[in-house]
Amino acid sequence: MLKKRLIGTVIVKNGWAVQSFGYRRYLPLGKPECLVQNLDRWGADEIFVLSIDRSSGRLGPDFKLLGRLGQLGLGTPLIYGGGIRSVEDGLQVIRLGADRLCVDALLHDDVEIVRGLSRQLGAQAVIASLPLSYRDQRIEWLDYRTKVSTQVSAKDLDAVTLGIVSELLVIDWQHEGQPGGFDRRLSAHASLPAEIPLIAFGGLSEPGQLIELLSQPRMAAVAVGNFLSYREHAIQKIKTQLIGMPMRLPSYESMYSLTTDV
Amino acid sequence: MGNHASVVHSLRELNYRVRVSNDQAVLNEADVLVLPGVGAFPSGMKALHSLSLVSYLQEQARLQRPIIGFCLGMQLLADASYEHQYTTGLGLIPGEVVPLINPQWHIGWNSIECVLQDPLFQASDGQVFYFNHSFAYRGPSEYQIGLSRHHKAFPSVVRRGSVVGLQFHPEKSQRPGKELLKSLISGLCHA
Repeated sequence: MLKKRLIGTVIVKNGWAVQSFGYRRYLPLGKPECLVQNLDRWGADEIFVLSIDRSSGRLGPDFKLLGRLGQLGLGTPLIYGGGIRSVEDGLQVIRLGADRLCVDALLHDDVEIVRGLSRQLGAQAVIASLPLSYRDQRIEWLDYRTKVSTQVSAKDLDAVTLGIVSELLVIDWQHEGQPGGFDRRLSAHASLPAEIPLIAFGGLSEPGQLIELLSQPRMAAVAVGNFLSYREHAIQKIKTQLIGMPMRLPSYESMYSLTTDV
Repeated sequence: MGNHASVVHSLRELNYRVRVSNDQAVLNEADVLVLPGVGAFPSGMKALHSLSLVSYLQEQARLQRPIIGFCLGMQLLADASYEHQYTTGLGLIPGEVVPLINPQWHIGWNSIECVLQDPLFQASDGQVFYFNHSFAYRGPSEYQIGLSRHHKAFPSVVRRGSVVGLQFHPEKSQRPGKELLKSLISGLCHA
C-alpha cells in the first residue's frame, strides 16, 4: 500500500536556508546542506529544497547548491524548485541529483515549457506549486514575483496542470510560518483539479492538523518547513505523533556504522 | 538521463568500487552493470542506441553478466514500451511496459511482496521502498519476483537469470534500499 509522506522543506534565499513567514519576512537558519543532511538522517520521506529568489531575480536554478547537495549522497528523494526557465534547466536539475521538479513561475509564464518537462521526464517528476489564498468562497492564486493574487477557476487550473503534473503543492502563503495556520478550505476547494493528488504546505505544525489533512483521500503528503528547525530528530518526533496514519514508521539511523566488519 | 550521483554514492557507501561510463572497454571490467534511469522510455532507448550500448547489453546478458536496472532502467530491460509511442526496448526480460491507469502515477513509499522464492530478495520482503513512475512492466509471471500494490498489483521486482529490474529507487530508499543493494550485488556476483 502506498504510504502518505512527510516532506521536509528547506527554503533558500540568497544561498542561505531561511525561515519564511507569509512570503515577506525571513530569518536565517544556516547552510542549506546542513538542514538537508539532517532531514536525510532523520528519515524524511522526501526533501524539498525551494530557492525562492531564483525566478524573481532571473537567476535560473541554483546549480551550485544542487551540486553541493549531490555531493552529500542523500538516501532520500530530493525535490527542487526555483528558477527553472526551460526544459534544459529542468534536465540539468535532474542530472545534478534531484528526483523531481517543482515549478511555480513557469505556470504563469509558459505552460508549454512545463509540458515539455513532463514529456521528457514524465509527469511523475513534475509538481505544480500553487500559492493560494481564500476569499469570498473563491481561491486566489498568487504570482509571488509581482505579489498580485488573481481569482482562479477550475478551468484555469485544469489548463496549467491536467496531464502535465503529478501533484499539486497547495501553499497557504498567507499563513506560512504561523503555527497551525494552514487554511483547510484551500485543499478542499472544488476549483482544484480532482484527478491530481495534493501536497499541503504553509503553517503546518500541529499533529491534529496533520492528521486531519492526511485523512483526506486525495492528500498524498504534507510538507513542513520552519517547524522542523527547532529541535533534533524533528521528523521522527512528528511521525511518532502520527502513528496510525498510513505512513512509514519513524526510523533512527546513524551516519556511521555501529558495527565493524572484521 | 540518470541519477548517477545518487547511485554512485549509495554503492560507494556499501564499499563497492563504481565507475560511470558508456565506454565498453570500461564496462567490460565491471562485475555488475547498473542501468539507472529517470525520464521517458523513448529518450532512454535513444540514448542507449546513440552510445551503441543496445547490442552490447544484449550480448552481456547472453553471457550471463549481472545487469541491474532501476526504475526507467528496469523498464528498458523489457521488449517494448507504450510511453509516448511504441518503442522497442533491450528485450532482456520478456514483457512490455504499459501505462498505469487510475491513478496514473505511483509516487512515494510502498512495500514489495515477494511472490517467487528468490534468496536475493527474501530479506527485503515486506520492506518499503521509494517509487516514482507512471508506467509499469507487464509480462510472464515466471519473471515476476516481487509485486507492489497501488489499487492494482504490479510487478516491482523482475528477474531473468542474471538480469534484474527494480521498479523503485533503491538508492533513494534509505536503509532498506542499501540492504537490498548489498544482498543483490553480492548475490549476483557470487551466483
